[in-house]
Amino acid sequence: MAQRYFQQTFTNGMTLLGEHMPAMQSMAMTFVLPAGSSTDPADAQGCASVLSDLVLRGAGARDSRQLTDYLDSLGLQRSGNVGVHHTRFGCAALAARVMDGLRVYADIIRRPHLPSAGFDSARDLALQALEGVEDEPRQKLMIQLRQRHFPEPYGRNSMGRKEHLEKLDLARCKADYAQRYNPRGSFLAFAGNLDFAALVDLVQELFGDWQPIPEPTIVMSPPPGNYHHEHQKSEQTNIGIAYPCIPETHEDYYAARMAVEILGGGTSSRLFTEVREKRGLVYGISASYGSLKDCGSIMGFAGTSNDRAQATLDAFLAELRRLSAGVTADELDRAKIGLKASTIMSSESTSARCGAIAHDFFMRGRIRTLEQVKQAIDETTLQHVNDYLRRNVPGPFTIVTVGPRELSLPKLS
Amino acid sequence: MALSFRYAQLPNGLDIIAETNPDSYSIALGFFVKTGSRDEDPSVHGVSHFLEHMMFKGSAKYTWEDVNRIFDEMGARYNAYTTQELTSYYANVLPEFTEVALEHLSHLLRPALRTEDFLTEKKVILEEIAMYLDDPGHRLYESLMESHFGSHPLSRSILGSPEAIARLQQPQMAEYFTRRYGPGSMVLVATGMLDFDRLIALAEKYCGSWPTVNAPRQDIQPVCTSHQRKMSDPKLNRLYTMAMTPAPSAQDERRFAARVLSDVIGDCDGSRFYWAMVDNAIAESAELSFYPHDGCGSYYLSLVTDPDRGQQALDIGLKELRKVRADLNADEVDRAKNKMASSLVLQGEVPMGRLYTLGGQWIYNKEYRSLEQDMSTLLSITPRSLHDLIDQFPFDPMTVVTLGPAE
Repeated sequence: MAQRYFQQTFTNGMTLLGEHMPAMQSMAMTFVLPAGSSTDPADAQGCASVLSDLVLRGAGARDSRQLTDYLDSLGLQRSGNVGVHHTRFGCAALAARVMDGLRVYADIIRRPHLPSAGFDSARDLALQALEGVEDEPRQKLMIQLRQRHFPEPYGRNSMGRKEHLEKLDLARCKADYAQRYNPRGSFLAFAGNLDFAALVDLVQELFGDWQPIPEPTIVMSPPPGNYHHEHQKSEQTNIGIAYPCIPETHEDYYAARMAVEILGGGTSSRLFTEVREKRGLVYGISASYGSLKDCGSIMGFAGTSNDRAQATLDAFLAELRRLSAGVTADELDRAKIGLKASTIMSSESTSARCGAIAHDFFMRGRIRTLEQVKQAIDETTLQHVNDYLRRNVPGPFTIVTVGPRELSLPKLS
Repeated sequence: MALSFRYAQLPNGLDIIAETNPDSYSIALGFFVKTGSRDEDPSVHGVSHFLEHMMFKGSAKYTWEDVNRIFDEMGARYNAYTTQELTSYYANVLPEFTEVALEHLSHLLRPALRTEDFLTEKKVILEEIAMYLDDPGHRLYESLMESHFGSHPLSRSILGSPEAIARLQQPQMAEYFTRRYGPGSMVLVATGMLDFDRLIALAEKYCGSWPTVNAPRQDIQPVCTSHQRKMSDPKLNRLYTMAMTPAPSAQDERRFAARVLSDVIGDCDGSRFYWAMVDNAIAESAELSFYPHDGCGSYYLSLVTDPDRGQQALDIGLKELRKVRADLNADEVDRAKNKMASSLVLQGEVPMGRLYTLGGQWIYNKEYRSLEQDMSTLLSITPRSLHDLIDQFPFDPMTVVTLGPAE
């Protein structure tokens, strides 16, 4: 059988990853750079976001219009985003077109024009996006929750801060670009109908002489945590609850992951059953595991009418406390099949697999095969999950509410 | 990738269509029903969507807890949605769960509609309505549809108002279900890894006893006029502008050209709207989309701006619509086509991607179109096709609505 997974690191520190999916016509690519909100300059938060727009406004021999037109002519479905750790540029299309597109991304990443007029527009758009948050209570909630739960700088809003964006100038952006668009800490993942040897040659040609510089260090400081209420006149109160969890690389990870699925994953989960189905308190409610480097978290959300917000918060917290008493074999079986099915079905999508291998590499330093993931899920026993839950009582909680009235917290023993 | 199409019909009139993909790892199954908010009598506004929720509350044999547990036991990715014109219930599962998934989807389609569940779920519907009331884009869209379609049934919101939902009674929902849900008004669709002959046998086993229904749809044309409506809410920070104007219907062969044209003008990246107003930050977002309906269609324009730049952005958008006929060029048409072609390929590689397309196409047109056919039609579109389209649908009359902080 033809090899399915590939990994190669170049001398400048950049890594190339690949998953060959021979049945596909498409290929998906993601280029991951070590420029996330956590390494934004402390007084220029939002710089990575502005850069992620600005580098697309002309690169290499093409001006802004020519660049966009060429990428469009290749038919590339494109995305770009800035997270805690990284700036990511992604695309998907017929395999041959993605290979053509990589040449253009090399220009974007290594030879962007960073034009002055473009900077003004990119910064204006970043400020407008921040203004828009005020009209989106759920988005506002998640930004506040992350800020209060995660240690600085992990909790930063990747959209930046208004006062920093207003003071930002092009010279600062250019300096930051030179500092953080760096092969050390960068990686490039492909999934689909690929020829890895050809990719290695192309990446060597386009990036082989890209010189590394030292990655910036991060200084962590503890978050405020506790309960914060953000006043907003809205129809619903949005509730966010976060608490720490083990990182993905921990040996108990799958025990923790199963427990969260049981808590707030599918429609037979505890939160959905107790808070929505039985009481009708919410439409939206969920809990999920969040993964940052060396830092896991559980993030919960519920949206509820203002006059029922207290009842919803109480019910949510009650379910979190109840989890420590353990889960049943049936619940665990459902969590396992759900996760396995999800993993298998995602392997039908080149974009999903591209994201998965990139994530695996960043968290673990290597790609796990689908078989390895299925095995890890299968090997998780009921005893393991319940031992984990006994030893790891949910908490301490960071709670944020957005709505017209502050809520009160029940006594948490 | 070799996709192949099969069709069958049960004696009770249930259409079954499938597109097999031997390279898939899963099967996607769905019932698509030709009923939605436009088919409601005003006295039961919101019943289609509320009923969609109630379908998950159990049948004669199962409770809602059974339903939730059993679907999770399959590891199913499952859900439902209601539009103005169709309602769909679907599940994506590993192939070994084909029978149990079809069995339980078919149970969903024969709901018990227990009064206790009805009363509890009413609260969930009200929560959903409240959630969307906090979304200015959604609020404005509902106002746009109301303004644009006037007395036509497409003007009504899908969720219904809190008052209408509060008033709704279980017998009204049961009557609506009995009248509108059944072979004759629905299709069973399957895509991915499947055995069609086995699927027919399973459909006969689980759906063969369902009574046929005849649920016609009122066939009237909307009367559209050009008008504007301004709304304000001092809590908001941004200005939202939306507009709607007639376009080809879901049956119209010009609908493919309409998709291409709307992308040329208003795709989120690289379009005329993008260069005219987003690239230079006049607007945060500026899009034109094509929404085909049963017997009529719309182009939908949407802008988000600073409150004091809304008029400027709208003027730019309208100017682009006026001048595109004269200065449309082949390159921009090719670029839009190339992006759409990629989208078709990517969608085709995933069973759920094809499920939505097949189901929608059957409900609207009783027709199957292969990926190759869609690709071929797309590639045949020329600037001339778009000129003809603009002449026939000249972005007029147009309804414009805005929602922002100022009076």
